[in-house]
Amino acid sequence: MSDHHRSHRPEPGSTALVHRVKGLSDRAIAWLFILPTIVILLAINIFPLIWTIYLSFTNYRVNRPNKAVDFVGLRNYERILSDTDIWITMQATAHFLFWTIFFQVLIGFALAYLINKKFKGNDLLTTIIVLPMMLSPAVVGNFWTFLYQPQIGLFNYVVSFFSGVDPSQFSMIGDVVLAPWAIVIVDTWMWTPFVMLICLAGLRSIPDSIYEAAECDRASKWRQFWTITIPMVLPFLMLAVLFRGIENFKMFDLVVQLTGGGPGSTTELTSINLKREAFEKWRTGYASAYAVILFVTVFGLASIYVKALNRVKDR
Amino acid sequence: MAEVTLHQVTKTFGDTVALDHVSLTIADHSFVVLLGPTGAGKTTTLRMISGLDKPDSGDVRFDGTSVNRLMPAQRNVAMVFQQYSLYPHLSVRENLEFPLKSPLLRMAADEIAKTVATVAETLQITHKLDNKATELSGGEMQRVSIGRALVRKPNIYLMDEPLSSLDAKLRADLRIELKRIQAHLGATLLYVTHDQIEAMTMATHVGVLDAGRLVQFGPPREIYENPISIYAASRLGQPRINILPADVFGGAPSGASFIGMRPEQIVQGQGEEGQVTRVERLGDQTRLYLLIKGHDLVTVTEAHTTLKNGDVVKIQPKHAFYFDQEGNRVN
Repeated sequence: MSDHHRSHRPEPGSTALVHRVKGLSDRAIAWLFILPTIVILLAINIFPLIWTIYLSFTNYRVNRPNKAVDFVGLRNYERILSDTDIWITMQATAHFLFWTIFFQVLIGFALAYLINKKFKGNDLLTTIIVLPMMLSPAVVGNFWTFLYQPQIGLFNYVVSFFSGVDPSQFSMIGDVVLAPWAIVIVDTWMWTPFVMLICLAGLRSIPDSIYEAAECDRASKWRQFWTITIPMVLPFLMLAVLFRGIENFKMFDLVVQLTGGGPGSTTELTSINLKREAFEKWRTGYASAYAVILFVTVFGLASIYVKALNRVKDR
Repeated sequence: MAEVTLHQVTKTFGDTVALDHVSLTIADHSFVVLLGPTGAGKTTTLRMISGLDKPDSGDVRFDGTSVNRLMPAQRNVAMVFQQYSLYPHLSVRENLEFPLKSPLLRMAADEIAKTVATVAETLQITHKLDNKATELSGGEMQRVSIGRALVRKPNIYLMDEPLSSLDAKLRADLRIELKRIQAHLGATLLYVTHDQIEAMTMATHVGVLDAGRLVQFGPPREIYENPISIYAASRLGQPRINILPADVFGGAPSGASFIGMRPEQIVQGQGEEGQVTRVERLGDQTRLYLLIKGHDLVTVTEAHTTLKNGDVVKIQPKHAFYFDQEGNRVN
């Protein structure tokens, strides 16, 4: 501020600038700083959202830009909510969400609990375990299609080694019963390390002295686990579930690469289904209504969940 | 309650010797205070007895039986941690109930509630019982931490500076209260502190630790009046004992290198001349800082003294302590 008082030879024009900047209030400067963010947010988030809501009430098709756009009211919504195919994709999504979260939390917490013990080389082991998460989903999807190959796939070989079932007798991604599980397995393989890391952060946040106090208070290891470890890690676990839930609700790349939604539409998750409606069938208005429904669903579920999470944290 | 004995206990952490052949008997129903600066081995001693750490060599015995192989839970000891170590996700009430809910006790719910209520009353935290443990001030946390020990009837209470973060009034209150509880329950208590008032007022016995060695053990009065070394003498007494070269005053016994004088061992009116450098009026007493033959000295004089800076006072020792070159007592 006082720079131009102190300097003996001010640069030409700099005094004018200082005066102009000085003329701004703190509030104006604050606005100046956040304005770019607000503009970008409006342009790429809020405007498209409002535009989508508008389109959802029309029969607009993006591949026919010259056709007159009619306002159709709630017809798109009616058609979506009464479409049995969409309920099937919803079920597929629910199946995928539930089982991936279930396995990832279970295995992720177990791994974190084990790796939290002090032993030599646990840092290296953590790094190795975390590797799958660092790969591109497209790459993961691609090489798991090889692992799932009935003739040459390692997965089928291992299963047959333990179960005696001939490896060519089943195809993980070609079978309507197995395919939904095939995508659960791959997602679990890829993202369990993420849940493990969050659980590990939770476990490491519990100071040793708490366990020492419990030890002196004559609590068994079993009781310490249930009355100290679990309650203190729970907020972290719930956060992991939230992250994985949101991520997997919009799961696209990995599953498209693995199964492409098939066989039939057994692994056609809502995001894949939505993409087909919007960019293969070009039903833009219809797809917009679909997107709005998904948005409201996710937003509602996430709000309820975050409330529950905060209750647990404040407890 | 039990008699707890340490027999030649040694514990090292890497290159640091935390405890060096410490032998100590904490008699049943006694209140033993461990004194010593940071790193003297006070907390390590508590951890040895609690079973949180195991000695490298030596024995910890409860009523004569070695407990070296027992886990903390099996030893049935209650410990108050310096850093409180409350269960942060539980309420104050749940923290106090936690040890009572141990399946080992099989205590009835109404009995648990009654015990918690009594202890909360004693520690003046009844109005905080439903607070979360993290929503407390430092002093309140410390009281909950003490309460979590007091709800139990263990073999021994182990307390690591339990009053250190309380304000002066509460500390005075709880000092009396702890002493009363200990006397009432006939509890065995091992207590670690820096505070010499706590040591003098509560202890039946004081143990002085110096760099992992127990250098003196006895009733506080005895350690105060008959310290075996400069180190032990410096642990108790306020203002601190004055240590001067023995030849400042005449009459030192042979082998004495230092003279140690507490304020009450200094007689004013005759002897060597000293110059007043500072007068500190504390209300009930006035502290006099003197410079005598180039050495600083602190003594206590009457509260309403008219002495001021620059005045000359004559002093001489009375029943002073003498120490040799190594600081050991010679008279």
